[in-house]
Amino acid sequence: MKDKKFIIIPCSGIGKPIGTTSRETTYEIIKQKPGLAETACLALLTSGDKETIKKINDNYCITLDGCAKHCALKNTQACGKIPDKSYMILKFAAENRDMKPEGMVDIGEGGRALVKTISKKIISDMDEILQDEKK
Amino acid sequence: MEENEKKLSKVGIVSCSGEDFPEGTISRLATLEALHHKKPFDTTTICLPLFIAGGEGDRMFAKNHPVITVDGCEKLCAKRATEKYSGKVACSINVRDFIKDSDEIKNKSNLNEDEKRIASEVTDAISLKVDDILKKNNK
Ligand code: SF4
Ligand code: SF4
Repeated sequence: MKDKKFIIIPCSGIGKPIGTTSRETTYEIIKQKPGLAETACLALLTSGDKETIKKINDNYCITLDGCAKHCALKNTQACGKIPDKSYMILKFAAENRDMKPEGMVDIGEGGRALVKTISKKIISDMDEILQDEKK
Repeated sequence: MEENEKKLSKVGIVSCSGEDFPEGTISRLATLEALHHKKPFDTTTICLPLFIAGGEGDRMFAKNHPVITVDGCEKLCAKRATEKYSGKVACSINVRDFIKDSDEIKNKSNLNEDEKRIASEVTDAISLKVDDILKKNNK
């Protein structure tokens, strides 16, 4: 079990800055936790790719959705995996009103600040999961 | 009336998410550029995973619009998922068809010049296809 990784699945929602924020947050976590965090293409799950379904079932899985439609969470569940943690960008945005993602391509300074805040929280939860596993 | 409805119809562009590959980011950026700058009045989109997470209305997308799918690689996730859950696509574009051996493709965000050039070529290809489809639909 030691080499289990965290597969972070953002929704990447194309029509909304919060979708881009979910994607950028995923890349930030992977940058902060190289070797421990990876991602997978959500579209591969949606299209039913067997290798990707196995990857998320064999590892820890974290979903990161832009909005309450919870696409990453629902697509992951549809593949038989209950994510170890799931988050929604809108909730963080509501709690941090001074950090507003602006565009769909470039989320701007506010969006980047939000990415830092969310990734910090998720990394701390990942550490907690690993600690619990050791107990 | 029927003629007006046809003329108002929009082309759907569905991009793969491609989080795990630079080509996925290119696909997404090319799609956004076509949607928001090149063909803002002729196109619409949907978040691909909504085919599973959304309702019946979301799954009707390909029945309500002719759809161009834009994929990062030969796995063609956007095309496969659209055809599995929503309906046949009018055209499928694969970003890898635009990449030359000399191109340096490595970034999932903050694209380099090669990656930006390819995104722009893909946007042009999408725009041409949109014109094509609308011309045929409105004949
Ligand atoms: S969770 Fe919301 S933003 Fe993300 S893909 Fe789904 S509909 Fe789009
Ligand atoms: S088509 Fe390729 S890049 Fe796009 S989601 Fe599928 S595997 Fe990822």
